[in-house]
Amino acid sequence: MSASPAIAIDPAAASPANGPALEPRSPRVRMRRLADGTRVCEAALRIEGMHCAACSGVIEAALRSSPGVLRADVSAIAERAELRWRPEATDIDRLIAVVHAAGYRAAGDGTPQAALLRRHEQRVLLMRWFVAAFCAMQVMMLATPTYLAGAHDIEPDLRRLLHWGGWVLSLPVLLLSAAPFFVGAWRGLRQRQLSMDAPVALGLLVTFVASSVATFHPGGWLGSEVYFDSLTMFVAFVLGARWLELRARHRAAEQLEQAVREVEQPALRIDADGVTRAVNASELAVGDCVRVALGQSFPADGRLIEGATAADESLLTGEASPLDKPAGASVVAGSLNVGAPVTMRVERVGDDTALQSIVELVRSAASQRPAVSRWADRWAAPFLWAVLLLAAGAAAAWSVIDPQRAVWVAVAVLIVTCPCALSLAVPASLLAAAGALARRGILLRRLDAIDTWSRVTEVFLDKTGTLTEDALALRRVVPLAPADLSAGEVRALTERAAALARWSAHPLARALAAAHPRGQSPWADVHERPGAGLSGHDESGRQWRLGSARHAGVPAAAHPDADTTAGAAVWFGCAGGPWLRMEFDESLRPDAAELVAHWRADGVRVTLLSGDRRARADAVGRALGVDAVIAEATPQDKLQVVTQAQARGAVVAMLGDGINDAPVLAQADLALVMGQGALLARAQSDAVITSERLADLDFARRLARRTRRVVQQNLAWAAGYNLLCVPLALSGLLPPWAAGLGMALSSLGVIGNAWRLSRAR
Amino acid sequence: MSTAASTESPVYTDAAVRGFALAAVVWGVVGMLVGVVIAAQLAWPELNLGIPWLSYGRLRPLHTNAVIFAFGGSALFATSYHVAQRTGQTPLFCPPLAMFTFIGWQLVIVAAAITLPLGYTQAKEYAELEWPIDILIAIVWVAYAIVFFGTIGIRKVRHIYVANWFFGAFIIAVALLHIVNSAVVPVSLWKSYSVYAGVQDAMVQWWYGHNAVGFFLTAGFLGMMYYYIPKQAERPIYSYRLSIVHFWALVFTYMWAGPHHLHYTALPDWAQSIGMIFSLVLLAPSWGGMINGIMTLSGAWHKLRDDPILKFLIVSLSFYGMSTFEGPMMSIKTVNALSHYTDWTVGHVHSGALGWVGLVSMGCLYHLIPRLYGRTSMHSVKAIDLHFWIATVGIVLYIASMWIAGVMQGLMWRATNPDGTLVYTFVEGVKATFPFYVIRLAGGLLYLTGMAVMAWNVVMTVRAGKPHVARIPLVAAHA
Amino acid sequence: MDILYLLIPLSALLVLAIVGVFAWATFSGQFEGLEREGSRILASDDAAVDAGQPVRGDSGKKLKDCDAKSP
Repeated sequence: MSASPAIAIDPAAASPANGPALEPRSPRVRMRRLADGTRVCEAALRIEGMHCAACSGVIEAALRSSPGVLRADVSAIAERAELRWRPEATDIDRLIAVVHAAGYRAAGDGTPQAALLRRHEQRVLLMRWFVAAFCAMQVMMLATPTYLAGAHDIEPDLRRLLHWGGWVLSLPVLLLSAAPFFVGAWRGLRQRQLSMDAPVALGLLVTFVASSVATFHPGGWLGSEVYFDSLTMFVAFVLGARWLELRARHRAAEQLEQAVREVEQPALRIDADGVTRAVNASELAVGDCVRVALGQSFPADGRLIEGATAADESLLTGEASPLDKPAGASVVAGSLNVGAPVTMRVERVGDDTALQSIVELVRSAASQRPAVSRWADRWAAPFLWAVLLLAAGAAAAWSVIDPQRAVWVAVAVLIVTCPCALSLAVPASLLAAAGALARRGILLRRLDAIDTWSRVTEVFLDKTGTLTEDALALRRVVPLAPADLSAGEVRALTERAAALARWSAHPLARALAAAHPRGQSPWADVHERPGAGLSGHDESGRQWRLGSARHAGVPAAAHPDADTTAGAAVWFGCAGGPWLRMEFDESLRPDAAELVAHWRADGVRVTLLSGDRRARADAVGRALGVDAVIAEATPQDKLQVVTQAQARGAVVAMLGDGINDAPVLAQADLALVMGQGALLARAQSDAVITSERLADLDFARRLARRTRRVVQQNLAWAAGYNLLCVPLALSGLLPPWAAGLGMALSSLGVIGNAWRLSRAR
Repeated sequence: MSTAASTESPVYTDAAVRGFALAAVVWGVVGMLVGVVIAAQLAWPELNLGIPWLSYGRLRPLHTNAVIFAFGGSALFATSYHVAQRTGQTPLFCPPLAMFTFIGWQLVIVAAAITLPLGYTQAKEYAELEWPIDILIAIVWVAYAIVFFGTIGIRKVRHIYVANWFFGAFIIAVALLHIVNSAVVPVSLWKSYSVYAGVQDAMVQWWYGHNAVGFFLTAGFLGMMYYYIPKQAERPIYSYRLSIVHFWALVFTYMWAGPHHLHYTALPDWAQSIGMIFSLVLLAPSWGGMINGIMTLSGAWHKLRDDPILKFLIVSLSFYGMSTFEGPMMSIKTVNALSHYTDWTVGHVHSGALGWVGLVSMGCLYHLIPRLYGRTSMHSVKAIDLHFWIATVGIVLYIASMWIAGVMQGLMWRATNPDGTLVYTFVEGVKATFPFYVIRLAGGLLYLTGMAVMAWNVVMTVRAGKPHVARIPLVAAHA
Repeated sequence: MDILYLLIPLSALLVLAIVGVFAWATFSGQFEGLEREGSRILASDDAAVDAGQPVRGDSGKKLKDCDAKSP
């Protein structure tokens, strides 16, 4: 891809020693053109080995300093990196090598590699924790005699044996279990950044060295107290907390991947041997022949090679009228096959398909670092310097007061100031909440959306699609001619129309057929013209037509009550003209009124903001019980309304799905889009409601507010704990083992508190 | 040998399993009979009959060895060989070697039955057998390890079922304990001296003694429990994950509880304290295992009504829970000050031995033996039920009488007059214990009767069936 | 308490051995898929031999769960 490499990196030399041999499968790389015409490549990588915010900083620094890289965003919580680079200067393999050289592992996101990497990460951490916990237990047993016995009950030789045992059993803990701390601190140093591991690593090192000296040269200036039990227990506790955090993270990632997988549908690929196999849409390649059944969506862009049909492209346009697709016509990925089963040949796969954009939508969400975390990152370095200075100061002060304790006080200060709990407080909570939301079918594009959701004061609702059911319902049948039809005859006529409607898969036809499912009426010679309607001959040979006004022969001038939204009425007539006009209404979703009531009860102002006619909008508004109705609004009008609300100080949420909502969604503070909404709308959203259940919005709002409280609790607790313990440590009242225990418990507490959110139902 | 020709289906190799299962029943009756005899002798010393080979001092170790190693050991051999094959979907690693372990082990037991009444003993609790037999034990044990771990090695199922972990730990631990504790200097064919002396020997002995209890009598039988309860109840273990955590937690903590046998002896105070602390710590993993086993029946408690084998298995877990609670309590120094050397200790041992080890072995054998002979159940299910109730009443009588006797003895021994002299002579304490010895004898007799009922049931079952050759299901290695 | 000069190094070696076993178990996947493994033993495993009927040996063919006869 690049002409001549600006830097030569040998990936083999740079890759870390541990772990399974992963094949260097390149991730999916997208090419696009920026507004100013430059060509750039973009890709997402899954990164393994990060365990704190500072790690992501290290990788970002490494990537950004790599030639050709325009953008590198790394999220430690999502274990994901989003990259953009100039293809002339570098390529994805080199960038992966850069990540390896920094000491982490990378693979394409979303491929099965990601699951393999996760598994490996879990195993390694479990191993480290086990070694630490097991050895800590044994060291504890060896240390207990010295606690229990009086000063002279144990002979010096035996005491030395016990210390030696503790030393031997601390070695695996230091070398195997605590390795991530040392490696992390070292990496940070190399990049001239202070990572959170630095104080911990320093504390461990000092403890071990001092205890070793006390073991082999007792009676020296460090005394003969050993702290192997504190050392090993501390490592065990911290790793235990990390294990839980890792599990939570992985579970959230798995839930997100699962939700995404449910959006993808299997495709029926016809292989070279003629056998039809169900494969994942993402596995299709250009040139594949795929069978697409009636009602399935087209899995990729391509061309029909067998059969003719109609396609529902509402995914792109929000409109339900099917487009005619004769043999040889091109079809678009994600559109619905509503005519007949066909076979297509794949011409384009990958990120130009609608499917891929939904997937990217979801994955992008997790990459972004919440604003609070970004704030925390900025303050991390100065904070850590302050910690080191404080520890050094304490050591200096105590070396005057009581030299034997100087080292241990410094160690306690280092350990107790580790801001692990503080850095976990926000991400752990948000991630847990995101997982719970994903389980309900609400896919977040930005983690920050949770915070915004909890502060919403005004909601604007679009009418069509968001509040109404997908399916239409027959509301009214108006006889047009002859004027003297009785009710019974109207009904009979409607039933015959319904019987004819059964020949079509058009949404309106389906609605009509559903209204009269048992009508028996023989129709012969039935034809369907997509976009117009059906025609057929009854028993007496007369031709009837069912469909749009024009198709049924309504004179162009007399189209009264024509709706701005197409397809709200269907005409049924024969050669002489229309006999019936059947009007359909989009029925309101059953939980819509309840949702509005909940919001209003909470003090949120609900406004119906629709482009529909006033009469219809008012009717729907009344049915829902909203605070205000704004009808016949153009996209500009909608934008203005929202902007004005924001100027008043409101936090605005917009719930929409139509293509004309896109600019308003971009303006709103919180943009919510139903799963079946237009692609363009989804691209601007903060959350996609794939479950299509309005009740889930209520759940999401309550969860968002709970999350906010949990985040505040966590931050308060973490900060309070640190503030309380630092003076204790400085004054020598906190022995190192207590500092370690407290720190680990504090982290566990934060994670546990956050974990409650992921269990929300 | 282990893999059949490709035109025939492979079968499990259960000859040694059958041998050990039947031997367990036989030695159960023998060991419990000797127990009844010595219980009677404690109540009526005349029953020593003046014959050295029938004296209490020589018969007691015969009883302990017979019930622990002959009865319990055979049951462990049988079930471990059975479970390793079924969970790995493979025949035994080296069936002839397995038969060797069977014959060797029976030889050990017979040698014990001969030498112990003859008075040849190393005088170490549960390790009385003299050095030639110790060597034979070591050889058989090595062969056992080869067969068991070899079978695990050639398994077709990738995952090693949790029961096998317990069996494996038990095998390795016992090997280690036996070799270290039985290190002696022989002076003649039937006489040797321990390489350790004095309080060092005591420490090693009770490191062995307690871990023998922990790994032979607990870990091994937990392995049995984790396989046969699900099979009999036809439900999976309540929490498989917990069973794995249970295993590793037990391994973590068992090594250092030994000193609790030596409270208020010459052992340093701090060593005794460690024993106490870690005995208490042991409570957690033990109860985790118990809950896991009992809760397997959660949602299907009605099965207990109709299935006496499940009664054996579930009630055995209750006794396990009780003993593993009682043990740590007794390891607390102040409690131990009352209980040490009294019959409370005997009561504790037997609640674990009769209640846990006995009942779980019986339950597993009742499940296993019919299937080894091509049948789905024992000859008489009613007899199993009868056995259950007789045994349970017997256990209750036994441990209740020993609790009362033990506490009474402890209180009597420590009762002092205001001037500091003892209130009771030792003999007075013995006299007061007499009625409880009789009750205990009754309990033991009931337990023995139950075992006799089982022996009858087994004979009837085996006679009506024939050795069953079981085909191994075909399975993909990564299933 | 000289015996501790034996018991403590012994237990240190034991610790290393146990850690080694745990490492093997972890990296060979013994701790994964636990939900399935608990129920696996319940599949019927003792089928009678059909005399005279050759059946393929362990060639990796998977037996359907409903196929096995219960004893």
